[in-house]
Amino acid sequence: MHDSPIIDLGGFRLDLSAVIMLLVTCIIVFVLARLAVRNLSVENPSKMQNFMEWVVEFVQGIVASAMDLKKGKPYISLGLTLIIFIFVANLLGLPFAIITDLPADFKVFGHTIEATRGLQDGHMAHVLWWKSPTADISITAGLAIVVFFLMNYLGLKLNRKHYLKHYIEPFPIFLPLNIIENLAKPIALAIRLFANIFAGEVLITVILKMGYFGIPFLAVWQGFSIFIGALQAFIFTILTMVYIAQTTVHEEEAH
Amino acid sequence: MGEVLWENIIVSILAFAILYFLLNKYAFGKLFAIMEQRRELVVSQLDEASKTREQAHVYVEEQKQALNQARQEAHEIIERSKQTSNKQAEQILELAKEEADRIKVDAVREIESEKTKAVAELRGEIGSVSVKIAEKLIEREVKNDQAQEELVDQYLKEVGGRS
Repeated sequence: MHDSPIIDLGGFRLDLSAVIMLLVTCIIVFVLARLAVRNLSVENPSKMQNFMEWVVEFVQGIVASAMDLKKGKPYISLGLTLIIFIFVANLLGLPFAIITDLPADFKVFGHTIEATRGLQDGHMAHVLWWKSPTADISITAGLAIVVFFLMNYLGLKLNRKHYLKHYIEPFPIFLPLNIIENLAKPIALAIRLFANIFAGEVLITVILKMGYFGIPFLAVWQGFSIFIGALQAFIFTILTMVYIAQTTVHEEEAH
Repeated sequence: MGEVLWENIIVSILAFAILYFLLNKYAFGKLFAIMEQRRELVVSQLDEASKTREQAHVYVEEQKQALNQARQEAHEIIERSKQTSNKQAEQILELAKEEADRIKVDAVREIESEKTKAVAELRGEIGSVSVKIAEKLIEREVKNDQAQEELVDQYLKEVGGRS
């Protein structure tokens, strides 16, 4: 497998590829959003504005399906950021990957890349620079931790009594089970997103090894990967909203 | 690659937080505001449309009333003119009748006077004619007989009185 371009900054192992890809994703998303709101008009919206409004309404639909839209209004921008960010991140690894063969003790910014440290002469480290950021479990874990923190914080802040009571329902003995359930949510989120995207990229690598013979398969798989990318972004967003709704909204009629 | 790097987790959380903050500040706020404005625009236009429709309804109602009133007035005017014309016709008829009566009375009176005049004339004429007839008769049978003349006069008087 390929190694990551990690440099050690006094104990902080900085993954350059993660930093670069997150930066690229953020820049693309931000530029896209800025382009969409460049010529906003009330009476004569541009195509870009219409598209962006469609996305906003889509996210509003997601939020509304999980909770009352009045309560869910502050989460619309969160959902928007999540869905666009994850969608763009999922697509980034599809067109190509950048892998370099680095010699021993290769230095970037005066720091040695860890994977090349102590390599014997003649051996090369395959370092993967360009990939989907969401094909890295650490990054999807970061997103999932944001969601985990948000849902528990919001539950404690807006719905403290019922949020805490939920842990000992239906009986106090269920407490460990409920804690595991709560912890399983972000882990499932992170692994689902990572596994889908990572598997897609692995399959692309495999198909590429087939040579010219694999071109039709590659085309089909790329198209399907775009669909998977959109679907995973949608699933991540809607699950985030559902989790937030579960912790913050106390539904009397549900019990 | 499979292992989880806590450094990467922190980097991704930071990246996402910064992106969320930037998007919220520089893109979504504006977009939401504009969307809200557009929603309000549609609502206000719908409102205006319904208001205009109501106004049109009121106008139509007013027009209908005005039309009804005008029709009623026209009806009254026609009625009134009919009455006056009837009255006038009656007056004219009465006048004509009076005139005709007057003329008739005049004519009757004239006829009466003419008749008496003609009777008087006739009486005179018949008197002289009968005298002449009698003269001729008497010339042949009696001459200057006083008794005869008295008799004739008496008969003639009777004839004149009868007519």
